[in-house]
Amino acid sequence: MGNQQPVKTAASAPVKKRKIGNPINNEKTAGYIFTLPFTFGFLMFMVVPMAISLYYAFCQYNILQPPVFIGWDNFAKMGSDAIYQKSIGVTFYFALVSTPLRLIFALFVAMLLLENNKLSGFYRATYYLPSIIGGSVAVSVLWKRMWATDGTINRILGINFPWLGDTRTAIWVLIILAVWQFGSSMLIFLSALKQIPQSLYEAAMVDGANGWKRFWKITFPLLTPTIFFNLVMQLINGFLAFTQCYIITQGKPMYSTEFYTVYMYDQSFTYYNTGYGAAMAWVMVLIISAVTAVLFATKKFWVYDGGL
Amino acid sequence: MTKRGAAAAMAALMGAGMLAGCGSTGGTQTSAAAKTSAAAEKTTAAASAASGNSSSGDVSMVFAWWGNQTRNERTTKAIEKYQEENPGVKIDGQFSEWNDYWQKMATAAAGGQAPDIMQQDYQYINQYAKSGQLLDLKPYIDNGTLDASKWDKNMLEAGTVDGKVIAICAGMNAPALVYNKTITDEAGVTIKDNMTLDEFVAAAKTIYEKTGYKTDLSYGTVQEPMNYLLRSDGVVLFGDGKLNATKEQLTKYFQVYEDGIKEGWELGPDVYADITIGSIEQAPIVAGTSPDKSAWNTLMWSNQYTAMNKLAKEGMDLEMTTWPSPDPKKSDFIKPGQFFSVTSGTKNPEEAVKFLNYLINSTDCNDILLGERGVPINSDVADKIKSQLDETDQKIYNYIYNVVQPNCSVINPPYPDGYAEAGKALNNVVEELCYGQIDASQAADEFLAQGGAALAAKAGS
Repeated sequence: MGNQQPVKTAASAPVKKRKIGNPINNEKTAGYIFTLPFTFGFLMFMVVPMAISLYYAFCQYNILQPPVFIGWDNFAKMGSDAIYQKSIGVTFYFALVSTPLRLIFALFVAMLLLENNKLSGFYRATYYLPSIIGGSVAVSVLWKRMWATDGTINRILGINFPWLGDTRTAIWVLIILAVWQFGSSMLIFLSALKQIPQSLYEAAMVDGANGWKRFWKITFPLLTPTIFFNLVMQLINGFLAFTQCYIITQGKPMYSTEFYTVYMYDQSFTYYNTGYGAAMAWVMVLIISAVTAVLFATKKFWVYDGGL
Repeated sequence: MTKRGAAAAMAALMGAGMLAGCGSTGGTQTSAAAKTSAAAEKTTAAASAASGNSSSGDVSMVFAWWGNQTRNERTTKAIEKYQEENPGVKIDGQFSEWNDYWQKMATAAAGGQAPDIMQQDYQYINQYAKSGQLLDLKPYIDNGTLDASKWDKNMLEAGTVDGKVIAICAGMNAPALVYNKTITDEAGVTIKDNMTLDEFVAAAKTIYEKTGYKTDLSYGTVQEPMNYLLRSDGVVLFGDGKLNATKEQLTKYFQVYEDGIKEGWELGPDVYADITIGSIEQAPIVAGTSPDKSAWNTLMWSNQYTAMNKLAKEGMDLEMTTWPSPDPKKSDFIKPGQFFSVTSGTKNPEEAVKFLNYLINSTDCNDILLGERGVPINSDVADKIKSQLDETDQKIYNYIYNVVQPNCSVINPPYPDGYAEAGKALNNVVEELCYGQIDASQAADEFLAQGGAALAAKAGS
C-alpha cells in the first residue's frame, strides 16, 4: 500500500509537469538565488564560526594547541571568577543607565530639530556626527585626555578631580561618552515625529491641551513603537560596548569599569584562555536573548500598536 | 502569469550570471594558487635534488616581526639587500604592532600558516616551543649553517628550551632606570650605579622633600621590577605552575609601595589612570605637567632609552642607571630583547636558517639594522657597528658592556605559560594597595592566591 502512493503521484504528474519540471520559473527559486550571496556569507562567516565557538566553549583551548574537550568546566569556572562577576555587574550598570539616558537625550534633541528652517539640515548632520566618530579610537583617546586630572573638564570647572582615577566616577566618563553618541536614535525619533499628523495637535489645542499634555497624550503614545525599537537596539549595543573601555579605562580603577566584552577579549587573546572566552561569549548571547525576550514580553503593556 | 514567469526567468538568469561571475573569479584564484603551490613543490623537489647548490631554484619565505617605524624601514632594507645577493630567494616581510602581532601569530599558527621566520619574545617562547611550533636550530649550528662561534653564551642559553635551540637573540637589553638629572642635582642627590633599594628609597624621599617631584615605582608593569627584586632573594617568581616567593618576601616589597603612598613620595594611582600604561610618550617622567603629577625617574629597558631621550623637554637631562635592589649583582641581568625563530612548519628550513645567519652574523646586514633591536650578540658585529652609532646609542652600549655585564647574574628561565594572567593579578593587587584598599601583607596573600591559581591552571599544558 505504502508503495503505491508515490506511483500514483507519478502517474498523475504529466498534468502538472510544466510547473514541476521547470523549477526555475518558480518565484521562490528566484528569491533563493537572489539571497544566495547573503546566505552564503551568513553561513560561512556567521553560522559556521558560531558553531565552532560553541564547540570551543566546551574545550580547553589556547589557540596554539588543539582544543581538548572538558565539558562544562568553562561555565563552572565563571562561578568562582570574581572578576567575571564584577564585569557582569559593570556591564549591566553601564547598559541599563546609559541606554535610557541616551534615548531621553536623543528624543529631546529630535524634538528641538523638528522645526524646519534653513539650517535644520545642517544641525541634523552636526548632531549626528558624534555617532559616526564617537565609537572610534581617536575620540576615545581625546575623551581620555579631556577627563584627565589636568584635562579640559577640570580646567573649565577650575578643580583638580581625578575623574578616571576614582572608582565612583570612572564609569560615568564612559556613560557620558555613550550618551553623547545619540545620533542614530535621534534620526529614528525624528522621522517618527514627522509621521505624527498635525491634525491631532490642532484638535488637542482646540480642546485646550498645553504643551506638556500634548506630549504625554499624543507624542509619547504614538512614539512608543519607535522607543521600543530604539530601546532594544541600543540596549544590545550597550551590552556589547567595547572600544570606550578598552581605550579609555582598560577596566581601571580596580575593575570598576571592566566591560564584559573587554574581559572576554583579554581571556581569549591576552591570556590565551580561548575556550573560556568562547564560553563567555555564549553566556552573553543568552543574556542578551533573555533581556530582549523580557522587553518583548512587556511590550503589550506600554507600546501603542494601533496604527494611526 | 507570463510576465511573472519572464521576470523570474530573468532573475534566475541574472543570478546565474552572477554565480558564474563569482565562480570564474574563484576559479582563477584557485588555479593561480594551485600554480604557486605546484611551483613551490617543484622548488622543494629541485632543492632537495640539487642540495649543496641550494640558492638556485625559487624560494619564497615569510618573515614577520613587530616593531616601530625605524625598525620596519631598516629591516625591509636588509631584506632587499639579501634578495639582491641571493637571486631566487624571495622574502616577504610582514610587520605589525606588538598586540596585533601576537594575535596574528596565534591564529596563523593555529591554521598552520605561521611565517617561516618570526620575531619572538621571552614571554612567549615557552608557549610556542612547548606546542611544537619552533624548529630546533641545534643541528644547523653543529653543521655550520648558523655560525655561533662569536655569540654571547648566555644569550644562546636564553633561547634554549628543553635542550633545543629554538630562538636566537636578536639584540641584548638590560633593565635601566632612567632619571632626570636636572631634578636630582637640584635636590642635591647623587644617583650611583648599582644602588640598593634602601638608598633608592632614601633618594626618593629627599627628592620629594626638596623639589616636590614624586617617584615612579612602576605601575601596571610591576611584573619585571618584582621579578628583579626577588632575584636578590634567589627566587624565580613566576615558576612552572606556581609562584615561588613566600609571603614574607612579597610583603617586604609591597611595603615599599604602601610606605611610598602613605609618605607621599610615590605617584598616586589616579595619575596612572590618566595615561596609557607602557607608553613611553606618556610616562610621568617626560609627560607630567606639574611636580606632583610627574616623576624624577622611570623603570624601563635600555633599548627604550633612545626613544625616551627624544621626548626629553628643554633643560631635561636624562641619564641611565641600574634598577635598585637589595643585592644588585644578584638581581641584574642581560636580557635577550627579542629573538628570531624558524617555525617548524617551514618548507625551506635550510634557506630560512641561512637568512637567520645573515640577520645575526652579517656585518653588512647589521650596518643597516644598526642595533635597533638591541646590542648584537655577535661580538665582531657589535664592535663593527659601535663606531657608527650616535651619542645616545653609544651610551646604551657602554651601559650594557661596562655597567651591567661586570655586575650581573644569568637571566631567569623563560616565563611559564600563564604568566600574562599572573602578571595581571600582580598589577591588580598593587592597584588595590595604592588605593589603600588593602595593606602590604594582604596584598601578598591575594597575589599568592590569584597569581598562583593562574599559573596552576596552565601547568603541564
